[in-house]
Parts: sequence; structure tokens; C-alpha cells
Amino acid sequence: MNTNLKISNVTKIYPGCVANDNVSLEFNSGKIYALLGENGAGKSTLVKILSGVIIPDEGEIYLNKNNLKLNSPLDAKKNDIGMVFQHFNLFETLSVFENLIIDSDEKRESLREKIDSIMKKYNFSIDLDIPVLNLSAGQKQKVEIIRCLIRNPKVLIMDEPTSVLTEQETSELFLSLKKFSEEGILIIYITHKLKEVMQLCDEVAVMRRGKLVSVSEIKNENIESLANKMVGQNLKTIKKKKAKTSSDQLIKITNLNFTSDDPFETNLMDINFSVNRGECFGIAGISGNGQSELFQVLSGEIISEKEAIEFNNNYIGDLNPQERREYLMAFSPEDRLEQAAIPQMKIFENVALNNFKSSNFFNNGLINENKIKEHSKKIISDFNVNTDNIELKSQFLSGGNLQKLIIGRELITSPDLLICFNPTWGLDVGAINYIHETLIKINEQNKSIILISTDTDELLKLSDKISVIHKGKLSKIMNAEEVTSEKLGILMGGAN
Amino acid sequence: MIIDINFIGLIIASIMASAVPLILASCGELITERSGVLNLGVEGMMIIGAISGFALMTVTGSLIIAIFGAMLAGVLISTIFAFLTQTLITNHVATGLALTIFGIGISAMIGKNFVGIPGKEFPVLFEGLKDTIPLIGPILFGHSIVFYFAFALPFMTNYFLKKTKIGLIVRAVGDSPVSASNQGIKVRFVRYLCILYGGAMSGLAGAYLSMIYTPQWIENMTGGRGWIALALVVFSTWNPIKILIGAMIFGGLTIIQFHMQAIGVRIPVQFLTALPYIVTIIVLVVISRDSRKIRLSTPSSLGKSFHKDN
Repeated sequence: MNTNLKISNVTKIYPGCVANDNVSLEFNSGKIYALLGENGAGKSTLVKILSGVIIPDEGEIYLNKNNLKLNSPLDAKKNDIGMVFQHFNLFETLSVFENLIIDSDEKRESLREKIDSIMKKYNFSIDLDIPVLNLSAGQKQKVEIIRCLIRNPKVLIMDEPTSVLTEQETSELFLSLKKFSEEGILIIYITHKLKEVMQLCDEVAVMRRGKLVSVSEIKNENIESLANKMVGQNLKTIKKKKAKTSSDQLIKITNLNFTSDDPFETNLMDINFSVNRGECFGIAGISGNGQSELFQVLSGEIISEKEAIEFNNNYIGDLNPQERREYLMAFSPEDRLEQAAIPQMKIFENVALNNFKSSNFFNNGLINENKIKEHSKKIISDFNVNTDNIELKSQFLSGGNLQKLIIGRELITSPDLLICFNPTWGLDVGAINYIHETLIKINEQNKSIILISTDTDELLKLSDKISVIHKGKLSKIMNAEEVTSEKLGILMGGAN
Repeated sequence: MIIDINFIGLIIASIMASAVPLILASCGELITERSGVLNLGVEGMMIIGAISGFALMTVTGSLIIAIFGAMLAGVLISTIFAFLTQTLITNHVATGLALTIFGIGISAMIGKNFVGIPGKEFPVLFEGLKDTIPLIGPILFGHSIVFYFAFALPFMTNYFLKKTKIGLIVRAVGDSPVSASNQGIKVRFVRYLCILYGGAMSGLAGAYLSMIYTPQWIENMTGGRGWIALALVVFSTWNPIKILIGAMIFGGLTIIQFHMQAIGVRIPVQFLTALPYIVTIIVLVVISRDSRKIRLSTPSSLGKSFHKDN
């Protein structure tokens, strides 16, 4: 039987933001649909409306011409709409089977048989009697999918399903989704990853700032055309001008070692490099090879020997991050919500956090809120952070906006050196481009960057000199023009 | 010296009797906490149950009305807590503490007119069988209905949580209210019911104290048993069977240290009085050491408010 799902003039308004602006879409079974958009484009809101988690302000939803009133997740389930959320909705301390039986009306034995037959059919293998917290992310996702399949859904919605999966798990997932689609389940796939859309889907709807901007067939699109639609402008191909050759040395690392007590950390061995003014020094590597330790040593979270780090002709190896900032260093750590910002604090409070010493922000131990707010507004407008509410808690900013805010916070003090670690990890194309442009601009102002990244394309695009870190050791330092991503790949694997 | 074997039976029975209010209140609180709600008002709910039971018994003369009235009083006072924490989203800890202070105060006020009034005798079951079996007879027979209910309760609670659908829903809500809500479970409704159930059990525990254990009203007569009940829940790692063990150890040491004081053992009284608290906690910590099991049985959302919107 064919399934037809129609969204008609759906609008959802939040204070300060129109999440869905009069969106109308139609889906038919037998095809896999992509719903594409940047973070904050409104795709998650739309699918939450379809799954009854959010109630729209206006608009109707029709399934096979029947008008659905979805006031709760239960209504969606009753109407055969299944949804796998980006953040899993599982009970970690309950067993897999308990997770599955909780919203089922079936008897234990018959449910078990049903689950077994589903697992057999799609080649899943999961122990039903262990607690969910012992499963890998991929297995947890399979539990979520099984939970939907138990109810024989007509519609299956997947919200950013690959963000937690390995390559292997991703290709397994795609195989399953194609199988479901062949069996007549209508699949809506939400993502901001263009490659996946090209690989998996038949039709694509693109959203931007709450509005639907286009619906088209995949065969008429390519990665560039989709990216442009998603961002809403022709993406410039960013190209870095060759840096002026400068021999003015800014930072020099000499025989830096770090031995950790924690067996899960990597020891750093004999790190030596230097960065000149106006240069970007890239450090490539597979994650877990000492990048995080190196970042912490450079930022002062881990203190080293005083002489190991020479910055602007001062030995600063024994200084903490706050003291290093006074020498005009700035830091953008990997984990935006854990290390760079405090999620429960407001934007302007987070802005003040890297600048305790500023007499502008604090008078005699009291917070000068007006000054900080003024300053925050400047960052938001200078660095294109998409909000006008500086009272917003940081956790409600999308990844891209938060990263812009953090980079902005660091740069507005005009530091001589910015050390960043995976600055564009998990961001959408528009935000990545913006961050890259910003980093290039820093170099053009004759300021320096140390870029630790696991993204080889990013490193080749931005760096002047590149080295590879492997098991806590740096490879020889190469000029970026002489390096190819194949060569980096070989070094990242540990070969010489 | 010949020790009457039935005398040992009687001591064991008195230990069990002193464990009854702890078991009742702990098992109630366990359900509340398993749903993710931390209600520190157990002491307050118990004392409200104690005065309500005693007052109703004195006024109406009916034991049945008094027992159920005490449970209802526990339900009513826990409704205040439920309304504040679930509907008005107040902080669980602060609200629970306020509930205890409120309960102690209001029970003292109501109780003024009941001080010094003698209680009624509460009927016991199987009185005749007491002397038929040595040692076992006095342990098993001749107790009130509440006594038998209390010793069945941990097993029923265990069965409820592990084997029934509603028990599974309670655990799910305590594990992740957000997921539960997305699955269509009415989180606040479930939590309301669990809080009210906890209130009823605390009320019953209080009534047991004022109507059966020491049939009279004394101000502040719960004497911290509510806090012990709370501690039992945590140190048993939310396991009803371990609550039973903990309550027996606590009850046992309380009785034994009384006897030791009476005999005049040369140990400071303060130390003897503190002994049950210390030993109970140590024993429960030791038998619940497995950190994996703790992780699995601790309600992850314990004490955290749940807002529908996020």
C-alpha cells in the first residue's frame, strides 16, 4: 500500500525565532527523502512536529488524506509514524528488552518472537537482556529502529542518525534504510551532511532559516548546488593567499615532554617546532594520538617546564591559561560545550569568562554587566552569531553559532596567537566557511595560528606549515604546498 | 542458668517489630525515588501519620478508620509536596525539608490535646498458635496485620518493580524522564502517584508507631526514624530486599543496645545509642559495593525537576 504524508502550511514560532515558517511538503512511500539544512534551519522542529513532541502553532498534517492531530508522541505512534531521535530516547539502566516492551501492548513471549524475527530479517544482533548502557552507539540506534519497526510503521523519520556512528555502522544503516524503503516504509532522513544525501536519498527538500527553499530530485543536484541552496548564497571557494615570508619568530617549543599518570592519555615525546608571525602551523593526526594533551600543554591546562615554551621572547611553560592570555595568547578548545563555554550560563556571562582581569568587566570585584553586554553585542555582530539575545543560555546556541561566539570572544582581544583544536568539528558548511575565512583573516593581520585538526582538507586549506602527530611524536615539519592528503594519510598511520 | 528458648523468640519478635516502621517508610520512599523524585519529607509524613492515626482512633474509636485515615493523611501531605515539585517545579530537597518541618510542627499542634491519653489495644493475629512451636511460634505468630504486611512489602515491591509493566514504567521515568515523555508516558502523572504512594506508606509507618508499637501520642515520637528510612533507601542502593536486611540490623542493634544499657555494660551510652546507625550504614555499604550494580539501580534522574518543554 502506498503511503502519502502531507505537511500543509506548518508554522512554529518561538520567542525571537521563527522555527518553521509556513512549510508545506509532500512525501510518498517507496522513496527516501532527505530533509537538508544547516543547524538551526528548522528541520528538527519540523520532524518533532511530525512525531508529536512539538505542537505547531498553525498548519495541518495529513497521512493518506486523513488529518492527523498530533498532540503527543503517543498520537504519532498510534498513527504509524516512527521516529529515531538524534539523541537516543532509551532508558540506559533498563535492559534492551525492557526498553522495547515498555510501550508495547503485546505479551512478553510474542514480543520476543517478533523482535527476533525483525533482527533476523535485517541482520541485527543485539543481546536483549543486557542493560542499554553496555551497548555501542550503533547498537543503541538499532534498538531505536527495532522499537519503531515493532509497530509496523508507515513512516520512519531519522534525525541526524550518523552523527554518532562509525563509517562501518553508517554503511550498515544505509543498507537497512534502503531495505525498509523497498518494503514500502516512507523514509525521511534529516541531515546536514551533503555526501550522505547524495549517497542515500531519492529526493531532497532544503530548509533555511525556518523556510522551505527547494524540493528536487537528487539526480538533478550535486554537492555544490545543494550546499549553495543550504547556505543561501554561492559559497566562495576559499583560497589562502601565500603568506608573506616572515622570519619573525613568535612561539618556539623546545624539547617538550609530557608523561601522564592516566593510562588513557598519550605521552608527548620531544616536541619541537616554532611558528612565525602571520603563519598558520597545522598539526594533523588521527584523534587520540596526543592532540588533546598537546593542546592542554600549549594552553597551560597542563604546565610544563618553563623553558619548553618560549613566546614573544618570554619563557611561559609554567604559566596557567589566564597568565598566558595576558601575553596575548588565545585558545579555542575542542569541546565547545564542555571546555570552551559553560552551557547553563548566558551568552554575555560566557563572554566575560576569559577575561577576569579586565578592568572594563570587573570593578573592585563587582561585575560590570553593562560593559560586558556591550562587548558581547559587538562580538555577536562582528562574528555573525545568529541571535540577538545575549541573555540566552549558551546551550541553546547551535554548534556553529557557539563556535563563532567562542572564536569571537578569543579574537576580540586581538591576540598574537590563536591555538585552536578541531574548530569546525560537527559544523555545517556555512559555519565552516565562516570560521575558515576568519582564520585566514587572522593570518593576514600578521597574527599566528596553531591549528590542531583531524580534518585533513581543512589543514591543507589553511596551513602554511604542517606536521603530523602520531603516538605523541611530531613528524618532520613540511611546507603546506609540498604536502598532499595522501602523504599526510601515510604519516598519520605512523609510517615515515 | 536456663534461658527460655521462647524468650529468644520474643527478643527476635521485638527486633522485627521495631523494624516495621522503617520497612514501611523505606519501601514507600523507594518507589518515590525510583521514579526520580527525592522526597526528604519522610519524617514529616510519618509524624503526621502518627498523630492522625492516634487522633482518629481516640475520636472515632475505630481502628480501621484510624489506620486508613493515617494513610490518607500521609497522602494529603505528600500531595502538597507533589504539587510543589511536579506542578510548580520547585527544588526537591528544599521542598522535602520544608515538609518535614511542617509535619513536625503541625503534629505537635494537633497533638496537644492527645498527650497522656492511653491508646487502645490493637488486635493481633494467630495469638493461639504462639505457644505451639518453640522459638518459631513467638516470632511468627501473635502480631498485628500491619506487621505481616510490612514483612511482605519488600518482596511485593521487588516483584512490582521487576515483573510488572507499571513497575517498569516507574523505573523508566526515574531513568530518563525525557525519553519516557517522548515515548508517550505521562511523566508527571507517574511521579505524582509515586509520591502519593510514598506518603501513604509513611503515614502507615507513623500510625504503626502511635497505635501499635507504643500506643500513645508523644510529641516528636518518630524520633528520626524517617531519616533512617531515607538512609536505608540510599544505602540499600534502591533494593527492597536489602532494605529489609538494613531495617533488621538497625532494629536489632537498637533493641540489643537497650538491653546492654540495662545490664550496665561499661560502654559509653552515647556510643551504644549511635551504634545502630553506624553499623547499619557500614553493612549496607559493604553489601552494595558493586559499582556496576549501583549504576544500574540508581535512578539517574533522582532529584532533578522535569519540564515538559525540553
